[in-house]
Amino acid sequence: MATIKLCKAADVSPGNSLRIEPENLPPLAVFNVEGEFYVINDTCSHGDASLCDGEIEDGEVECPWHNAKFCIKTGKALTFPAVEPQQTYKTAVIDGEVCIDI
Amino acid sequence: MTTQHRINLEQNGSAYACAEDDTLLRAGLRAGLGLAYECNVGACGSCKFDLLDGEVRDLFPEATGLRAKERERGKRLACQCVPVTDCRIKIRSGDEYVSAIRPQRFKARFVGRTTLTRDISLFSFATDMPARFLPGQYAMLSAPQLPQARAYSMSNIPNKEGIWQFIIRHVPGGRATTFLFEHLRENDEMDIDAPFGIAYLRTEVKRPIVGIAGGSGLAPVLSVMRGAAGLAASAGPVLLYGGRTPEDIPDVPQLTRAAEIHVDYHPVISAPEAGAAQSWGGDVGFVHEFIERKLSAPLPDYEYYLAGPPPMIEASVRLLVGDHKVPQDQIHYDRFF
Ligand SMILES: Cc1cc2nc3c(=O)[nH]c(=O)nc-3n(C[C@H](O)[C@H](O)[C@H](O)COP(=O)(O)OP(=O)(O)OC[C@H]3O[C@@H](n4cnc5c(N)ncnc54)[C@H](O)[C@@H]3O)c2cc1C
Ligand code: FES
Ligand code: FES
Repeated sequence: MATIKLCKAADVSPGNSLRIEPENLPPLAVFNVEGEFYVINDTCSHGDASLCDGEIEDGEVECPWHNAKFCIKTGKALTFPAVEPQQTYKTAVIDGEVCIDI
Repeated sequence: MTTQHRINLEQNGSAYACAEDDTLLRAGLRAGLGLAYECNVGACGSCKFDLLDGEVRDLFPEATGLRAKERERGKRLACQCVPVTDCRIKIRSGDEYVSAIRPQRFKARFVGRTTLTRDISLFSFATDMPARFLPGQYAMLSAPQLPQARAYSMSNIPNKEGIWQFIIRHVPGGRATTFLFEHLRENDEMDIDAPFGIAYLRTEVKRPIVGIAGGSGLAPVLSVMRGAAGLAASAGPVLLYGGRTPEDIPDVPQLTRAAEIHVDYHPVISAPEAGAAQSWGGDVGFVHEFIERKLSAPLPDYEYYLAGPPPMIEASVRLLVGDHKVPQDQIHYDRFF
């Protein structure tokens, strides 16, 4: 297992997201939900849309293309047309950096 | 001739001409561009775009394919907008949306209606040109008496004779279906714009076909099975059809015999309490609940074509993809919004 740094916690303010393209990983979406950080795959499980372009509300992100909603914490697909979950990553803030375990 | 406007696509610099009475989506598809879409009626949201420059007229501002917030931010639906000036737009596109047969507008003569159930009929239209479409696609039908066009899937297959057939359910109080069932007379003309739709028969796929249809969703599934019969498929297709009561189930064996295809057919009714349930010896429930029971091989071994009410499609796709790990690109559906 390895821990990789994605961005500075200060780069993602509460209620926002940031798209990161780490090497050897799919594009990731870093979310700040009321001060808690979560990381999930950025590309929607339904089609080719970036969830970082989506609307965030109540701990859910709405895909900008067909408006499927996902739970940011669990990655669960909440509404059609998405049915498959987004992959989630174990996330922690270490020395002001958002990090995930892979 | 109607005024044409130039539509420039931000993403790749291509451009096309769009007549003032044509939607941005349909004109783009006519021009051979792969603009993203599904329903053509403002419900799915696939065709949303950003207007960067120019002016459009929105034919259906209440369309459910866009959230209010998206509208406020200037997003529009390409299937519901006609140009007022030249425009520059940003819209999703992909090769999978390019029309193999470019949609065209033409007149069709109504040649007859055959009753299939108390509220479902088979409608036939004739044109002077060959009927060109892919099995599983749909047409936009309109008439001067109707406020807007409606989407109807063809139930037959492409043919030189120029025959277009549709299986249509009379929706109580529905504007287009009331016109079709009550006011259309033999030899009356309707305007057809076709073909459209991305749930067409994948001829290169050799997996056996499963059709899942509910209500009026029979048409595209029949078309796909008729189209597939002409190919050397590995096994016969399976058709699951869901209706409310026994009276709502058309005589599918008769339809498939007439089309000279062999189908492993399974009707399911969902409302046994209504009407003549006693005589119904078959399956009762929602059609998706029977998918697993009626198929002998693991579910990822099939190619799926679905059509009908959105809740039926949603339940079926959840089951196939979520529970049985069928790859999403093996599932093709038309939601009849
Ligand atoms: C891809 C697709 C394929 C279909 N195939 C079939 C088929 O094979 N057989 C079949 O019976 N039905 C089919 N339908 C449903 C069909 O298109 C009609 O929705 C249905 O027949 C009801 O039409 P209506 O006018 O009678 O009802 P209404 O209740 O009068 O109209 C309902 C439809 O009109 C649209 N609408 C309402 N107001 C507006 C407006 N201002 N501007 C634009 N649109 C508006 C609604 O979004 C809705 O789609 C299909 C739908 C889709 C999307
Ligand atoms: S691409 Fe996200 S819902 Fe379709
Ligand atoms: S294609 Fe325009 S909303 Fe469905």
